[in-house]
Amino acid sequence: MAPQFHPVGGDGLPVERAVLDDLFSAAYEELRRLASAVRRSDHASTRSATTLVNEAWVKLASSPRFTAVSHLHFKRIAARAMRQVLIEAARRRHATKRGGGDIQFVTLDESASGIGAGGAEEVLALETALAALAQVSPRQAEMVECRFFGGLDVVETAAALDVSEATVQRDWRAAKAWLAKELRKSR
Amino acid sequence: MDAMRWERLQALFHDAVDRPPAERALFLRAACPDDPTMVDEVLAAIAEDEQGDSLLDHGVEYAAEQMIGATPERLREIGPYRLVHPIGEGGMGVVFLAERTDLGTSAAVKILRDAWLSPSRRQRFAAEQRTLARLNHPGIARLFDAGTLSDGTPWIVMEFVEGVTLTAHVQSGPFPREARLRLFLDVCEAVQYAHRHLIVHRDLKPSNVLVTADGAVKLLDFGIAKDIGDVRPGEAGQTIARLMTPAYAAPEQARGEPAGVQSDVYSLGVMLFELLTGVLPVDAQSRTATGVADLDVLCSTAMHPDLARRYASVEALGRDVSHYLASEPLEARPDSLRYRSGKFVRRNWRPLAAAAAVVIAAVSLVAFYTLRLTDARNAALAEALRTRRIQSMMLALFNGGDAAAGPSEDLRVVTLVDRGLREAQGLTGEPRVQADMFDALGGIYQKLGNLPQAEKLLTGALAARRALAGPASDDVAISLVALARLRVAQARFADAERLVRDALGIRRGRDARQTPALADASTALGEVLVEKGDYPAAIAVLEDVVTARASEGDTPEHAASLRQLVNAYFYAGRFDDAQRVGRTTLEMTRRVHGARHPLVADDLINLGAVAHERGQYPEAEARYREALALNEAWYGAGHTRTASNLTMLGRTLVRENRFDEGVECLQRALAVQERVYGPVHPAVASAVNDLGSVALARKRLDDAAAAFSRMADIYRAVYAGKHYLIGIAVSNLGSVAMERPDYPRAERLYREAIAIFSETQSPTHLNAGIARIKLGRALLRDGRPAEAETELLAGLDILKQQTVPSVGWLKNAREDLVALYDRTRQPEKAAALRAAP
Repeated sequence: MAPQFHPVGGDGLPVERAVLDDLFSAAYEELRRLASAVRRSDHASTRSATTLVNEAWVKLASSPRFTAVSHLHFKRIAARAMRQVLIEAARRRHATKRGGGDIQFVTLDESASGIGAGGAEEVLALETALAALAQVSPRQAEMVECRFFGGLDVVETAAALDVSEATVQRDWRAAKAWLAKELRKSR
Repeated sequence: MDAMRWERLQALFHDAVDRPPAERALFLRAACPDDPTMVDEVLAAIAEDEQGDSLLDHGVEYAAEQMIGATPERLREIGPYRLVHPIGEGGMGVVFLAERTDLGTSAAVKILRDAWLSPSRRQRFAAEQRTLARLNHPGIARLFDAGTLSDGTPWIVMEFVEGVTLTAHVQSGPFPREARLRLFLDVCEAVQYAHRHLIVHRDLKPSNVLVTADGAVKLLDFGIAKDIGDVRPGEAGQTIARLMTPAYAAPEQARGEPAGVQSDVYSLGVMLFELLTGVLPVDAQSRTATGVADLDVLCSTAMHPDLARRYASVEALGRDVSHYLASEPLEARPDSLRYRSGKFVRRNWRPLAAAAAVVIAAVSLVAFYTLRLTDARNAALAEALRTRRIQSMMLALFNGGDAAAGPSEDLRVVTLVDRGLREAQGLTGEPRVQADMFDALGGIYQKLGNLPQAEKLLTGALAARRALAGPASDDVAISLVALARLRVAQARFADAERLVRDALGIRRGRDARQTPALADASTALGEVLVEKGDYPAAIAVLEDVVTARASEGDTPEHAASLRQLVNAYFYAGRFDDAQRVGRTTLEMTRRVHGARHPLVADDLINLGAVAHERGQYPEAEARYREALALNEAWYGAGHTRTASNLTMLGRTLVRENRFDEGVECLQRALAVQERVYGPVHPAVASAVNDLGSVALARKRLDDAAAAFSRMADIYRAVYAGKHYLIGIAVSNLGSVAMERPDYPRAERLYREAIAIFSETQSPTHLNAGIARIKLGRALLRDGRPAEAETELLAGLDILKQQTVPSVGWLKNAREDLVALYDRTRQPEKAAALRAAP
């Protein structure tokens, strides 16, 4: 099953399938790169999140569907893709843990990351909480998508959502605290 | 929760979070007395804010590590295969070592991780399976079985290859070049087989080639291979460009264009280069780094950015490798490089071909980056493309064919550089890239001997960089040094020194520490001072540089600084130091560049020159001959480098009274120098000097006088009347006068020479010492023993300080003094001299 997600290009038309496919592959590889950087404790390389997404954008920029898309817009699309990939992975993992499939995915050291042992459940809980947040404040939900999934910094997020940097700081802090509270409930 | 409640919650959160913890609950209860749930929620959120330990604080990478980074390690069996342990992990899948339970044989099982993600990943995996199914060759890992797990995860079972990667294999021990080439031929064989079955690998690199214990090569990973001529929709070139390994990707692949058999040829060329040199072409100092001209041509033809000039097939590449192994001429000599006439240029086609290739590469890189820039406007990318590697690669090549040598004769290179210039001039929208190109092209025009064009470009680059990067930027410092080198070529030494000192000022201002950049600028200053003839100052600067670089280890730059110091010592007459540092330099150059690099010849020549000056002629001859073999192999017999090498060898032979051998060397050298440089040039003067010396030794006095006069005229014209080399010419004319004999004339000439040496070098320089001994002899023969004694003793004094006792001039001086004391009846002084060691 491919993620249910249809971003649109600058002209409002759906982005062609092959390009979308490519974007998801790029997002996936980026997540894999980040994951292995965490495993290697290579903080320098985790800090430069979305490197591969940037590269993908440079390469996709020549696609006719993307010519009208700004770099920032692309980063937002990429953030969405990262979110979708991660959630899809969590769903699959959740399913296999409950007995489905031939493969059991076992992390090398589940306690090391500081996140609860049910990583998949936590990601799924985040998705639920984020959906609830989107109901009451779509802008803050997008902000979380940009900051957390897309690795956009405060300046980029402010530009992407057309708000001041102070607003981003403030909104992000409150949203993050509230989401964290919701995640704790799910543990 | 509704939007209003969320707004309220946030407002309370912000109000409460900055209060002291003890006051928060009180404040919140007072603010919403009827809503304890709200109070709890806000307090819980504040607790999370303070703890900062949630998934959101840890970042997406931690979630990724748990969701995606995990290895499927509980998977135990696939069909009849039992999985033993994971052996590798690529962008696409995980590979396990597996055992076939019924047969007990080993196999490799590859599964596509996270196959659900996208159809294109599944398609690529299936394509690899189809590809492998068609290939049955001992040099390619074979496909045994394939299938899909119940959750849709596809798997393939392949031949398990127990071996190490090609790179690790050749690094595992001393591996002669021939063995490397034969191994490479085996790789070519396997790739050729795939091509015959209409499959292009598209991701050839050393880590995809394993070598087994018995030395057999196995090609792996046809993960992004494709059918020749198959352009599937949805398999856009861009996708492949991202999947493959950039260092080995052909330019057309990097541009996202369809790959063909010639793309594999390119990747094989990069692999060959790496196999031979241990470094990737992009990391190499130059593409002439294999140390063998034929192999340089071979590699650059395989890696040619222009498909029309790249080997048309792997077979053609393999054929030329075989030709090389059989010591046969290569086929890789393009028609355009065959010259109708002019042996000189034809013998230099190798460096020219390589230079041409790199210029083309640089030009297409400019075009490529320009395209990308206009597409993307990505500042990070713009920075990355300002790579100095393009420049250093080009310049390193042109450094091979120096000054007025080869390249200036060669229209194609000039045409290419002109084309590069036009490309660069078109880059008005990218002024920084344009300045870089102007800087690089300016250096090339200088090497080509077009100094006005070089001047225009280098001053243009400097002005642009001042405006773009600021007057005290690194780029400006680089431009200043480049311009200083041009000033040296223009013999405007004072300007050169000022420019390079400005550059040093910038470097010091930016970073007080001794940095490689500062050391480079200081080396340039040393170079300028040596060219200017200010040897003590040059030595002081260069000794500091070398001290600072001691911790740098073996680098080309470190060796270059040492080499410059050897020059300075040599010209200053400090031969012990020159010899000591010269030996260190030679060893480092061999380690850095390999034993057959022309810089090794340069270091050998320096040591030969030192030995010659110290009268150690057998050593000098040996060093010069070793250098000659390298220079002839590298530049060809008709190149100016070879010619000046011959001159020096001839000079040593003449000193050993081996006139016929010496004259042959010298005449060959003179013919080359006159053809290349024209009649008035220091190199011609040097050759003329040596022929004059032979004529003198053979008592052909008119020939000798004519030669030395021409030599003096040339040096006076070139050095504007002041240079120690004029002193040498004058002193040699004095020696002709001695033979005639015309002692008053000899005396006049020697005194003139001593004055020149004292002024341009030092009154205690070896040259001044020798001239005084010569003068002493002239005075003695002229019947003026008192004056002769003064000169002879002074000369002897200078020589004793600087040379080993066996030197001819020392002996001459002693003999003359003994004769003098005998004649003036001072037997005890004569006896003392006779008894001296």
